[in-house]
Amino acid sequence: MLLRLVDVQRHFGGVRAVDGVSLEVNQGSIQGLIGPNGAGKTTLVNVVTGYARFQGGRAWLESDELTGLPAHRIASLGIARTFQNIRLFKDLTAIENVLIGMHTRRRDDTLAQLATLPLFRSDERSRIKDAYALLESVGLPHSVGTRHAATLPYGDQRRLEIARALALRPRLLILDEPAAGMNPAEKQGMRELIERLNAEGLTILLIDHDMRLVMGVCKRVAVLNFGKKIADGTPDEVSTDAGVIKAYLGTGGDREVTSAPGASGVDEATEVEEAAVTSRAAREPDKAILDVEDLTVSYGAVVAVRGVSFRVAAGEVVALIGANGAGKSTILNTLSGLIRPESGTATFDGLDLANAKASAIVRHGLVQVPEGREILARQTVLENLELATWARRDGAATRKRIEDVMKRFPILGERRALSAGSLSGGEQQMLAIARGLLARPRLLLLDEPSLGLAPQMVDEVFRAIEEIHKEGTTILLVEQNALRALGVADRAYVIETGRILLSGSGDDLLHNPAVRRAYLGG
Amino acid sequence: MDFFFNLFSDPVGFWNSHTLLISQIGINGIIATSMFLVLYSGQLSLAAPGFMAVGAYTSVLMELYWHTPFAVNIAAGTLLAALGGLLVGLPVLRLRGVFLAIATIGFIEALRLGVILNVPITGEGLGLKHAADPLGGVPIILVSLVVTVFLVWRLTKGRLGSAWSAIRQDEIAALSQGINVAQYKMIAFVFSALLAGYGGALEAHLTFIVAPGDEQYGVTRAVQILTFAVLGGSGFVLGPLAGALIVTLLPYIFLQAGPYINVFSGIFLIAVIVFRPQGIVGRGGLAIVRPAWWPRARARAPSPG
Repeated sequence: MLLRLVDVQRHFGGVRAVDGVSLEVNQGSIQGLIGPNGAGKTTLVNVVTGYARFQGGRAWLESDELTGLPAHRIASLGIARTFQNIRLFKDLTAIENVLIGMHTRRRDDTLAQLATLPLFRSDERSRIKDAYALLESVGLPHSVGTRHAATLPYGDQRRLEIARALALRPRLLILDEPAAGMNPAEKQGMRELIERLNAEGLTILLIDHDMRLVMGVCKRVAVLNFGKKIADGTPDEVSTDAGVIKAYLGTGGDREVTSAPGASGVDEATEVEEAAVTSRAAREPDKAILDVEDLTVSYGAVVAVRGVSFRVAAGEVVALIGANGAGKSTILNTLSGLIRPESGTATFDGLDLANAKASAIVRHGLVQVPEGREILARQTVLENLELATWARRDGAATRKRIEDVMKRFPILGERRALSAGSLSGGEQQMLAIARGLLARPRLLLLDEPSLGLAPQMVDEVFRAIEEIHKEGTTILLVEQNALRALGVADRAYVIETGRILLSGSGDDLLHNPAVRRAYLGG
Repeated sequence: MDFFFNLFSDPVGFWNSHTLLISQIGINGIIATSMFLVLYSGQLSLAAPGFMAVGAYTSVLMELYWHTPFAVNIAAGTLLAALGGLLVGLPVLRLRGVFLAIATIGFIEALRLGVILNVPITGEGLGLKHAADPLGGVPIILVSLVVTVFLVWRLTKGRLGSAWSAIRQDEIAALSQGINVAQYKMIAFVFSALLAGYGGALEAHLTFIVAPGDEQYGVTRAVQILTFAVLGGSGFVLGPLAGALIVTLLPYIFLQAGPYINVFSGIFLIAVIVFRPQGIVGRGGLAIVRPAWWPRARARAPSPG
C-alpha cells in the first residue's frame, strides 16, 4: 500500500469539507476519486499534499507520515500533484518549468555558480536532456521547450504541468481534474497518457468529473459526497451503487436513474427503441420569436460555432446541451450582442441581433443571465437588484417590481440586507435570475444555472426556472447537466464541438443513447 | 548638454569634477541590486533604506568611538544589516505584495523616527560628523558595484535563482515542486539587507556627515529605490542598475529646464512606464534603445545537447 489516509478531517468555519475520510491507494494502481461539485475532493488533496492543515486523522506515504508536514516536504517525499486551475510558471519557458521540477534532486551549486566553475556544466546538460525527455514522455514536441508556458494551448499546458510533476520523480502522482475543459479528442489523449504513465509503474490518484474517463481508466474508485466517503470499489461496483447514483446523478429530480452514464450494464436496446419514436413536440416551430440561421462564430483562428441553426417559439423552454467547450456559451453571448458572428443571422422578434447594440437587445426584451452569476459580492442583495434597474429608475414602479421579484424568490426577500457574497451558490444563482427578470425579458437566456451547485440547490433552481416559464417567459437554457435540462425543456439541441448533433423533444433526447455518447465524448 | 559633452570630450576632467556624482551612481547601483534580489524572489520589500541606515550608523559610530579601521567598520555595518534583515524578515515575510511593502515601510520609519531621532548616541536630528576621506572611496565603490552585480547575476543562474524565479511566478506551484518557499524568501531578504547595509555604510562616507533625513533613510528614499527597479525592469539584474543610473542622472539630463526640472523628470518617468511597462531592460533586451538592425535576443531557454 502506497498511500494510506485514516479519518482525515478538514472544516472551513461550519462547513465540514472533508469529514472523516479514510482511503488507501495501492502501489502501481490508478485510484479514482469522484464526487459532485463541492464534495471535498480538492480539499482532501490539499490536506494530503500539505496545502491545508489536518484537523483530524493521519496520513502515510508508505512508512513516511505526512500528517502536519509542510507542502514542500511532502513534495520532496514523493507526492507530485497538478492543479485544477493549471498553475504553471507562466512567464518561464516550458523547459524552465520542468527544470524547476528537478529542484529537490539538484545539487546545491551556489558556490560553484559564484565562482563560475565549469564543475556543474555536465550536470546542467544532463538535466536539460532529462527535461526534454520528460516533455516527450507527456507527448509534447521538442519545439515547445523554448516557448513561454502562458503561450501554449490549453491541452499542452495540462501536459506540461504533468511533465513538471514527473520531474520530481514522484512515488504518487495526484491529478486534479486533468481533463477539465478538454474536447473528446483531447480527453482520449489524456486517458492514453494516464494509462501509459501507469504502465511505466507510476501510482496515480485521479480526480475528475468525467465519469467515462474515471470509470474507464481506474481500477478502483472512491466516491465523496459532502465530505464523506460514500463508496469505494471497482468502477462497476461504484456505478451501480444506489447511494452513488443518488448523490452523483440524482440531479434528475423525480426521474428514476438506473445507472451512471458511462457505466456498463445499461439496457441500450430499450433506449434506442424509445428514441425511435419521434414525438410531435420535437418539430421545429413555424412561428419563432428567435430565429438563428447558419450562425458561425470564431475567436481568431478558433471556430467555436459552426453553422448552427435553431428556432425558439414564444412560450417554449429550449435547451442547448453539450460538454464543456462545445460552444454553448458562445452562442448565447452572440445572441446578446457581446460577440459578433462571423456569418449567419440571428433575429429576435424583428431585431437583427448580429448588428444591434447589446443595450438595444436588452431593451428589446432579450436578457441573459451569465455563466458564473456575475453578481456584485460586496453589495447587498437589495443593492444588486436596484443596480439592475438603474437604467430606468421610475420610482414607485421600479420598487414594486423589485418587491414582486422578491416575492417570487422569498429567500432573497429574507436576505435583502445581507451582502450577496454571503449567500450560498444556489441563492446567488437565484439572485442572478431575479436580476435578469427585472429587465422584463420576453426571452430569458440562462447560461449554466446549475454550475457548481449541490444537488438540492440544483433542484431549487430548476423549480424556479419552471415557475418563471409558467408565468409566460420564453427560456433558452444552456446546461452541462443534461438530465436536468432535458427534464424541463420542451425541445433541446445537443451541441458538440460547435455543431448541432441532435435535436428533439426533451423526453426523447433523455432516453436517446446517442445523447449520452455525444455528451460524454464516447 | 555641457554635462554629456564633457563626458566625451574630456573624460579625465569629467571624472575629476564629478567624483561625487559617480560615487552616488555606484552606491545607488548597489542599492538597486539589493532591490533586484527581493523583487526577483517575488517580494515587494521597501526595507532597503532601513538596512542602509543600520550600515551607515554602525560604521560611523565605530569610527567615532572605537577608531577601528575603515574596512572593519564597513564590514561590521554590513553584517549587522544582514542580522537586521533576519530579525525583520522573521515576522514580515509572512506578508505578500502591498502588505509586505507597508510592513517594511513601517520598519524603516520606526527605525528612523523611533530609534535614530530618539537615541542620543546617533546625534538625533543633527546627525553625526565624522572625518573619513569622502573622495578616497570612489574606486572602492565602483569595484564593489561590479563585484556585487556579478555575484547576484551568478546567483540567479543557479539552483537558488531558479527557486527564486519559481517563487516569484507562483508560490503555490513552487511548493508543489518541493521548494521551501519561506526559506528561499528569507535567503533573498537577508542577502538583500546585506547589500543595502554595505551600500549604506559606503554612502555614509561620501560626505562628512550622516543624518536621518527622509530623502536619506525614509519613505522618499524607499520610493526612489523602487523607481530604480520599476524604471529599469526587475527581470534582469541589469534592469535596476540601469534604472539607478538614469534616476541619479535625471537632474543632469534636464539641467536646461531650470526650475521645471521636476516636471520634466516626472513626464519622463511616466512616459517610460506607459510605453515600456516591463521596464527599460525587459525580456528581449534593451528594446527601447535597440536599433532595428541589431540582432534579436535569442530565447533564454537552453536547447538540448
